[in-house]
Amino acid sequence: MLRKLIASGLTLLLIGAVACSGGGDEPSLASDVAATAAPSGGIEISPALGGNPTPTASAAQSVLDDKSGGTLKILGGDPPTLDPALVSDTSSARIILELFSGLVRLDNNLQIVPDVAETWAITEGGTVYTFTIRDDARFSDGTPITATDFKWAIERAANPDTESTVAELYLADIVGIQQIIDGNATSASGVEVLDDKTLRFRIDAPKAYFLAKLTYPTAFALKRDNVESGGRTWTDNPVGSGPFLLDEYRIGERLVLARNENYYDRPPYLDKVEINLAGGVAMAMYQADEIDLTGVGLADLDRVQDPNDPLNQDLVRVPPGFTTSYIGFNVDEPPFNDVKFRQALAHAIDKDLIAEQVFAGLVRPADGVLPPLFPGFNDGLDGLEFDPEKAQRLLAESSYPTLSDRDKRIVVTTQGTGGSPSLSIEVMADMWSQTLGVEVDIQQVEFATYLQDLYRNRLQSFFGAWEADYPDPQDWIDILFHSESPRNDGNYSNPDVDRLVEQARTEQDVVLRTQLYQEAEQLIIDDVAWLPVWWDTQGLALIKSRVQDYNFLPMTIEIFKDVWINE
Amino acid sequence: MLAYIVRRLLWTPVLLVIVSAIVFALGHYGPGDPVQIQLGQQFTEERAERLKESRGLNDPVYEQYGRYVWNALHFDFGESFQFQGRGVSELLGPKLKVSAQLFLAASIITIGFGVPLGYYSALKQGTWVDPAVVSSALVLYAIPVFLTAPVLIILFALKLDWVPVSGWGGLFDTQVILPALTIGVPGIAVFTRIMRASTLDVLGQDFVRTARAKGVPEHVVNYRHVGRNALIPVLTIIGFSLSGLLGGALIVELIYGIPGVGRFALDAIFARDFPVIMALSLIGAASLVIANLVVDILYAVVDPRIRYQ
Repeated sequence: MLRKLIASGLTLLLIGAVACSGGGDEPSLASDVAATAAPSGGIEISPALGGNPTPTASAAQSVLDDKSGGTLKILGGDPPTLDPALVSDTSSARIILELFSGLVRLDNNLQIVPDVAETWAITEGGTVYTFTIRDDARFSDGTPITATDFKWAIERAANPDTESTVAELYLADIVGIQQIIDGNATSASGVEVLDDKTLRFRIDAPKAYFLAKLTYPTAFALKRDNVESGGRTWTDNPVGSGPFLLDEYRIGERLVLARNENYYDRPPYLDKVEINLAGGVAMAMYQADEIDLTGVGLADLDRVQDPNDPLNQDLVRVPPGFTTSYIGFNVDEPPFNDVKFRQALAHAIDKDLIAEQVFAGLVRPADGVLPPLFPGFNDGLDGLEFDPEKAQRLLAESSYPTLSDRDKRIVVTTQGTGGSPSLSIEVMADMWSQTLGVEVDIQQVEFATYLQDLYRNRLQSFFGAWEADYPDPQDWIDILFHSESPRNDGNYSNPDVDRLVEQARTEQDVVLRTQLYQEAEQLIIDDVAWLPVWWDTQGLALIKSRVQDYNFLPMTIEIFKDVWINE
Repeated sequence: MLAYIVRRLLWTPVLLVIVSAIVFALGHYGPGDPVQIQLGQQFTEERAERLKESRGLNDPVYEQYGRYVWNALHFDFGESFQFQGRGVSELLGPKLKVSAQLFLAASIITIGFGVPLGYYSALKQGTWVDPAVVSSALVLYAIPVFLTAPVLIILFALKLDWVPVSGWGGLFDTQVILPALTIGVPGIAVFTRIMRASTLDVLGQDFVRTARAKGVPEHVVNYRHVGRNALIPVLTIIGFSLSGLLGGALIVELIYGIPGVGRFALDAIFARDFPVIMALSLIGAASLVIANLVVDILYAVVDPRIRYQ
């Protein structure tokens, strides 16, 4: 969601976050995910029939009795907001997803499945989405959820008074929403309430990724009375529609979720989820049974992997998050305006060495923009491999073969507040110096300044990481590299890439659409608009054996509903 | 003495205005932009402008500062940027209470052990006790918090299972012991050494010899003549040790999972939650100023010779 903050000093907090937002089920193959993200137009889809069979009442009851009860205790960070319209970070999202519901959601395989909507139909060439809301969908206070609740919530999110920073990204495809965001309207014609249980969206073009954007909380149902009567702190007593209720929240101390008995689907097994927000030494707390789950840091790696250590019994593998670490270049700035110079830099980096020696194999070398297992990931992508001779040749052919041709120092800016920049970036600088004689300065600035300079396109080149917002390649290839995109921070502009991603926006055929993104990605890599360096690999976590069905996933989705405690 | 106290009290707001102006200027002119952080990936100039306008960040600086000081006088430090819709006082109140209790517990350990040990080792000068006490205190002083905290946790929480690893149960709960020891024990050395030095100094003075020569019983000499006089330099240090303890408490709170201002302050700094950072700086400065005021008043109580004009 947010640009990822790396190399921060808050190791404890990060480990806490990893523990809770990480992923154990192997995500399905990328193409499968893409397939559901882009249903072809005009076909009535009723996934509820096959996907979520509702057990008969008695069967459901007995299952519930077996697994019901217990409290899951985990470590976490304070959610900056619990308002679905405002969420832009993972620690907020993971709570909000448990408290509120949207029309559709992502399941454990990151496929789009019905949530409050029972069925939907996509018509008029993929520009009209008509959702039918479940009859039994209720808010936590028992009142039924209607189409109006969605319309009101979506228009509220877009309203400038709400101050949402994400509404535009997730909702602006809907006709009329941009006018609300710009302050010229309060209602959107593209959100239409046909009756209490039927809601229709009209979008500005047949965008295949639109459905994926509706899984984001900005499009979740809100109860108007609750929001309006609560003022700016309405989230202290939210009336949601998710599997859990907010039982208690003391900032910096703890947040407790309790089972929502009014949840439309099978209520969660857990009585409560207790999130400790005060911090502590996660490993020691885990050993003392104060938390049920923790990430494993480098310091404890040897210990937990020792089969003789009792902790080894609890060890699970956590799939990597969808993150790519990269070096970006401002392609308007010499010497980066010369593609050969950029290619020379790319061929001079030994990514294997960085992955193996610097990160002890905890990351894997990245060739492309999209991380592995992400929808649209291209296994056959032609990366720019480590080849010192080719690098030297390209440098000689470029406009800046020698130091005197480059009139100023090259500065790579990275985020961080530590005394010295991370080893990885120093190693890369050294590789450039050794192979090409290209000397670079590493400038380390704190995260806020980094973002500020980055977004104003002030940086010459920059080292950073991008994390997926939703499982669609559009979130990377289009948002980061289309020449008109506000998040194209390196001013990269390639008419072919623009054409491909524009075509992909409205391409309804999943296979073709994936191909378009992959073609664009190949061009981006060939042009070295980005020099991807590494992808995260799976991490390790410890989970108490009493905790059942806790699924670690590479994206933040609701997860506590299926968890049960085996006492 | 009353006049002195009044004069000191009048100075206090002047000091606080200076502190608040510095804090405000650092926040205002420092690098990075809070609006930027909040907008993150969604940053555009228009959005940033809109947010700034709604927060009054576009008003002239003196207006912003004036508004800030006026509100701060009413214990209103504005709304947190990070936790929207929440007043800083509302957020900080419960956390300050926790930290203050922890600080109190740690001070009791530091002073409660440091002063008697220093006094005792001074009286035992020339025996093995003196160097033993002083060097043990120094060894404890030299061990960093990063080491003591995990060792204490492993020993008392994991191996012996006497106290939980993390959490907070109030000043009179056993959970306070480990963090209070972690913060308090290193400071013992400081008080031991100062108390010892000042006791030795007093012991060599004429009035002590005179008292002994008069036949005053040894315990009365030690208590009334030596002890009270030796305490004066110690008081000076108490005022200043406050800031050191506060700094140490931040880390210790994080390690022991105590919901005090420590972790909250750290989060606020990383999120550039200026209202919170400024309130904390002001509160920190105010407590230092007030602590030193109290110390000055205590001088007069301990030493009747000190009569401020």
